[in-house]
Amino acid sequence: MKFKAVVTENGFRKQALFEDYRISSQNEDRIAFAFDISLLLRAVRSSVSIISGEFGIANRLQVKLVKKLPPNSTQPMPFLTFETKGYKSAVIQDVPISKPLSRAQLLQLQAALDAAQDLPPTLVQVPDSNRLQNFVDRMKHVGDLLNVSISKYGDLHLQISTTLITLGAEFRKLLVVGDKAQAPSEDRDLSAQTRSGRAILMGDAQSVQGACLTVIFQFFIPGTRQTDKSISLHCRLPVLDPGSS
Amino acid sequence: MSSSAIETDTSDLVCQLDNVQGIVDALSTVRWKRHQDAVVELSEHGIVLIVEETGCLQAKVYLQKELFIRYEYTAQGRPRFGLSLGLFVDCLNTFSVPGHSSSIEIQYPGPDMQLLIKSADSLDDCIYAEIRTRIPETISWDYNFEPAGSTPLSFTVKSAVLKEAIDDLEWPGSSIQIILKPVPPSVTFRGEGHGDLQIDLMYYANTDLLIAFHCDHEVSYRYKYKFLRATTSNVPSNVIKDNRGSKLTIGRGGMLKVQHLVSVARPSASHQHIDSAGYQQPSRIAYIEFFVKPEEDEDTVND
Repeated sequence: MKFKAVVTENGFRKQALFEDYRISSQNEDRIAFAFDISLLLRAVRSSVSIISGEFGIANRLQVKLVKKLPPNSTQPMPFLTFETKGYKSAVIQDVPISKPLSRAQLLQLQAALDAAQDLPPTLVQVPDSNRLQNFVDRMKHVGDLLNVSISKYGDLHLQISTTLITLGAEFRKLLVVGDKAQAPSEDRDLSAQTRSGRAILMGDAQSVQGACLTVIFQFFIPGTRQTDKSISLHCRLPVLDPGSS
Repeated sequence: MSSSAIETDTSDLVCQLDNVQGIVDALSTVRWKRHQDAVVELSEHGIVLIVEETGCLQAKVYLQKELFIRYEYTAQGRPRFGLSLGLFVDCLNTFSVPGHSSSIEIQYPGPDMQLLIKSADSLDDCIYAEIRTRIPETISWDYNFEPAGSTPLSFTVKSAVLKEAIDDLEWPGSSIQIILKPVPPSVTFRGEGHGDLQIDLMYYANTDLLIAFHCDHEVSYRYKYKFLRATTSNVPSNVIKDNRGSKLTIGRGGMLKVQHLVSVARPSASHQHIDSAGYQQPSRIAYIEFFVKPEEDEDTVND
């Protein structure tokens, strides 16, 4: 899998992740390149194992963009280098990366990243993401097209519908971030399907959010129930079928 | 009056179950390939699911009404419908939450003859499914199992041992001979094909493996390996873990019946029960039966 990255001073709250941070480029101090994400994952995992295996000692991970001469080659190649220094060992890993992307490509990538930061008007918070993941994992054996709807009442409705089966799940009374509304009281005894249909008609639910479903993963600070504000994972899933609404 | 109350009035069956995983295990036992059509028969005694492989193998899962925490049956006659076994199992599996015993309500028929399933655990979270049913295919009745004589020809073997023996017979392949001998009391599985492999289970030598044995005269029949394998390939791990036995009986004409017992007890309750009494309530067991027809020998084809 190819992955594109922009390294920029504004990308992360740099003081939250980095002790020291230096960058300079002609593109307003931004450098973009493509790399194989599985190689990056391997490098990071092995760095983590070195650091966590020798706890108690102040360990450092240094990440650098470098040009090196690979073996059997006369042409220097760009690498993202991970230098991990533990108490007993030090490991240097070079992850090969592409040549820096052009200014035009960089701007395009930055625009896509900025767009991902735009929040939809209504978000619901799913407290138990493991349960949701487990459910969706099992659902995929039944069909591969999933209808998703989110209402301002705090309802999340997932449904697979094929000629042989309709399978769905509704999670109600979730915490709503953004626009919310009071659920009509007569809705209480209705089925999940009827209720989400009515909410869509009343404009209180959308089965699609623009052309994408936004999923934001938040993380707890290890050992606490406090959200780690320095990092979150934003996923925008393109909608395959925009639905009838 | 809510709409669900009206539906309930016209249903043949509304039942509730508190261990979805147990039912998934029981139904998976008879799922020997990806696409299988099953016939479901409802009665006042419970639910029977039947699967068949053209003229050679039939399997039945008996879910007695005692397995359900609620079983309201109001139909006249015995309603039957067809559905896809794979879809049914995959669908039930989405209701099962690891580490929890989840309850579901099953209802038949829905307004469009569907099988309706919904979770019955929480008011705020709800999982629901509607499975399209079909007019059932006719079930072949030539699997009617009749005893071979006045004494039954049967043996009970640890399910794990049976599964291992049948797995081991894979390499000679194709055709497996099962021989029961009264003297010395023993069961032999013999495979001949790419090579020969013979597995002898001696009754008196090791009562841990062969738990029971009844045979008054020597019999020998051959069965297709792939059908024998289907009888044990998906036996759930809890059957092996609970150290249960499987019973094999040879009936008239060499028809082989393989019976397994699959626990449908709630995980927490079953532990208590094993601790206190060493066995589980018989009512919390799903019965699984396979019927395998023997291969026709050249000399018996014409009689």
